[in-house]
Amino acid sequence: MIKSLRDAFGEKLVSEGEKIQNILAISCDLRNTCKLGSFFKKFPNRSFEIGIAEANAIGIAAGLSFLGFRPFVASFGSFITGKNIEIRATISYNLAPVVIVGTHGGLIGADGATQAALQDIAVMRSIPDIEIFQPCSPIDVEKVLEYVVRSNKPTYLRIGRNEIKEFFDHDHKFKIGLGNIIKNGSKNLIISSGPMVRNCIDAIRHFDNNQGDYGLLNLTSLKPLNENFLINTILPYDKVVVVEDHLIEGGIGSIVSEVITKHGINKTVYRHGLDNEFIESDTPEKLAKKYKLDSFGIFEYLNGLP
Amino acid sequence: MNNNPNEIKKICVNVRKKILELIYYGQSGHIGPSLSIVEILVNIYFNHIDFENVNRNRLILSKGHAAPALYAIFDQLGLLKKDEIKTLRKLGSRLQGHPDKRKLDLLDAGTGALGQGLSIAIGYSLGFKLKNLDNNVFCILGDGEIQEGQIWEAAMYIGTHQLNNIITFIDGNKFQNEYSIAETLPVKNLRGKWESFGFEYLEINGHDNHELHKINQNFILKKFNKPLLVYCNTVKGRGIPFMENNNSYHHIKEMKEKDFNAAMKEVIKND
Repeated sequence: MIKSLRDAFGEKLVSEGEKIQNILAISCDLRNTCKLGSFFKKFPNRSFEIGIAEANAIGIAAGLSFLGFRPFVASFGSFITGKNIEIRATISYNLAPVVIVGTHGGLIGADGATQAALQDIAVMRSIPDIEIFQPCSPIDVEKVLEYVVRSNKPTYLRIGRNEIKEFFDHDHKFKIGLGNIIKNGSKNLIISSGPMVRNCIDAIRHFDNNQGDYGLLNLTSLKPLNENFLINTILPYDKVVVVEDHLIEGGIGSIVSEVITKHGINKTVYRHGLDNEFIESDTPEKLAKKYKLDSFGIFEYLNGLP
Repeated sequence: MNNNPNEIKKICVNVRKKILELIYYGQSGHIGPSLSIVEILVNIYFNHIDFENVNRNRLILSKGHAAPALYAIFDQLGLLKKDEIKTLRKLGSRLQGHPDKRKLDLLDAGTGALGQGLSIAIGYSLGFKLKNLDNNVFCILGDGEIQEGQIWEAAMYIGTHQLNNIITFIDGNKFQNEYSIAETLPVKNLRGKWESFGFEYLEINGHDNHELHKINQNFILKKFNKPLLVYCNTVKGRGIPFMENNNSYHHIKEMKEKDFNAAMKEVIKND
């Protein structure tokens, strides 16, 4: 099965919406792009088009959440997480149980850097009490949503637009704070999240004889993150490599580095992602190639490690 | 529910005394912009918000720096603990420098970063409608605060959708953080701006309990055809002559005992 993560999100939100009446959808003129369109059609009374006014949408969602609703505000991750003070002072400060959905993270394609969420994880994890999840496959999206619609906590959901060939089966479980060991290895551990996990799986396959060297850990639950789980997973390995479609400053590589430092573990963390830069315009495939984040690029990066 | 304007006048005196006490014990706070909204807040809280009702009307103090006025009213309503007003701006207090909903659940929103409260009010408005409740939302903005762009995003939404369960007050005390409005950004034709966004614009004396009472009553009875914007001409520091229209009392960092006593004397004169 190949499906885009945002499609999986849109479909699952509708099916959960049938069961849970307090789920609402809030759009900022990107309802179809962010895959809220089906929810809008199915539940018009529980859907609100705010227009190109993300700050207002955040405040409206907070007010609704105070009356017991579970609003999902969706926009491009770059736009919605750009509303830092509104998220900080209206949602986080008030512990408003709003779900912020940021799509179009990373190497989005021809629209270019302004539309691409490249710092969103760094921004969101600096704000107190917001849970951050980035699912990596269509089934993972469904499992995360089953948690999120019921958690009643302020949440940031980073949903890729990427088409992902499924690699979990339906028994896959999302557990808050924990990751999923996709593959065990004998030497080095790759840690990734979101659509890049699929590329890492394929990158490991490019090794002819030493595929067994590399383990792969998926982190969907970026905040909270169970530090003991992470440390215990990392400990048997020599090198730790983090692969992300996000700036390495403040992203997943930073999260892993912080935990390792805090626990006094002697490991080098190699961070492979975007480095203090904006992306360019072109097809996602060409961008992935340029930034060495397609499976071949990741393979090359791994091969080039000291 | 106390509808008698003479009673309301006495309550306002008590609330001003409590604002002084709060800031005297806290030794800092936004005193001028708290004193300017006493009548606006008292008329709403003492007539239209019933804390015993889970489905009560809501009030968003978007100009969150006037928190002492809010705390004074909560104390006057008997909702705070004994002597809690002596803890303003102190570690462990529920009475933070700006309203903190996590600590004080009487609040309908924690505010302080300006410009955000009207959007939260819309959320309550839509939520009440979704629940088929005929509750109302009161929102208080500062006259400097409306320089924030988000206010106009919210105004555009309220006007477009003609949300008739929100009433928006502007505390027109003519000053902002550092200087007067006139010296900062003297925006012209507020009436035209709000009317063009779809509001009915009323301008009143924001210290006149009769006028405030009448507008709130008519609002509750849905006698207006459009969403309401009530521009209240108020006096910053109202009730204490040496603070009135003196922007050095926007925010104070200390209050000496003799100044506290002198201010208290002025407030009591109106008792």
